[in-house]
Amino acid sequence: MPSSRGPKKQSRKLSWDKKYTKELFRRYRLEGDEAARDELITMYLNLVKYLASRFRNRGEPIDDLVQVGTIGLIKAIDRFDIDRQVEFTTYATPTIVGELKRYFRDKGWAIKVPRRLQELSFKVNQAMDALTQRLQRSPTIEEIAEYLEVTTDDVLEAMETSEAYNFVSLEGDRGGDGSDSFSILEYIGQDDQLMAIVDDRATLSAALKQLSPQEQRVLYLRFFEGLTQTEIARQLDISQMQVSRLLRKTLKVLRESIVREH
Amino acid sequence: MSADRITLTVPARGEYAKAVRMTASGLVARMNMTYDELDDVRIAAEEAFVYACDHSPESGEVRLEFLVAEDSIEMKVNLSDGLRVTDEEAERRAAYATFLLQSVSDRFEMSSDESGPYLRVVKSVERDRDDALQ
Repeated sequence: MPSSRGPKKQSRKLSWDKKYTKELFRRYRLEGDEAARDELITMYLNLVKYLASRFRNRGEPIDDLVQVGTIGLIKAIDRFDIDRQVEFTTYATPTIVGELKRYFRDKGWAIKVPRRLQELSFKVNQAMDALTQRLQRSPTIEEIAEYLEVTTDDVLEAMETSEAYNFVSLEGDRGGDGSDSFSILEYIGQDDQLMAIVDDRATLSAALKQLSPQEQRVLYLRFFEGLTQTEIARQLDISQMQVSRLLRKTLKVLRESIVREH
Repeated sequence: MSADRITLTVPARGEYAKAVRMTASGLVARMNMTYDELDDVRIAAEEAFVYACDHSPESGEVRLEFLVAEDSIEMKVNLSDGLRVTDEEAERRAAYATFLLQSVSDRFEMSSDESGPYLRVVKSVERDRDDALQ
């Protein structure tokens, strides 16, 4: 350790935290004490805030990042195996970071980014999704470059542009509770696609049959019942992030099958 | 296996975090890393640098050493002795930083050698990529 002064105090504090964390997990898991779960969330909110702050220069409002990180924290709390000899922080940190990374990957881009890079960044994101699905793992930079017929330098540059993620508060214009707006990317792209879908009901109904009952249900609730993502999440007992992802995925499946038809 | 050594000395100020991060991502550019692995390298470089800034005197410098091998990058960052601010909040932040560094690297170590205390992170390219479902 770099300092002989600081770490001592720190480790005493942290070991107290560890004991208390264990106790809270025991109360939550074995006695079903929801208050203990809430306390765990509160207790590790500082960790979430710290990790969220490491992503703040990517241009998203810090409050949104803390929200996203908190979803990761809650997932970690609910999935943590108290019998495994792993510290909770060791388990929670990658879960929270993963949630934050995914959030950025799903985001759109600000107009301020030079058009070429903006388009490329958008394409890199698309390629990421397509290749991740095809390969069942994160694609390499080279694979993305090959897929887009650009150089690896271009891909890296596009990734660096993530500095310029948009500053628009999407939630602001949409009202509601703030957690259930589409990203710009979805908002702009998918309305058009839905119009196209409506144009051809026969194709649509064939395409819908490819979806699982849950996917159909999410689509139905969102576009026929007009529920927000948060409301859907509550109804189906899944997270809002999952709803957002399901929506994107199903719309993509529909889009692709319709394009094939024509 | 031989590795290339790149050293970088920058003022211990947060505004240089971006340059450090871009240097790291530039150095692994030919390594055939996945998108996620590269994002980890960027986060690790920035985090290690910021950590070093927090542990340096205000007007100090941070010396970073990158060892770039065929399929891994090692970043060694020198640390001054002691936190710049030593309140409980700063200590907690330092602990969080180490959690983050652990979670984005394959190896993480804080130790000391003849040139003083240092922090080291290693990130490698996943080898059996086709078996490694993410």
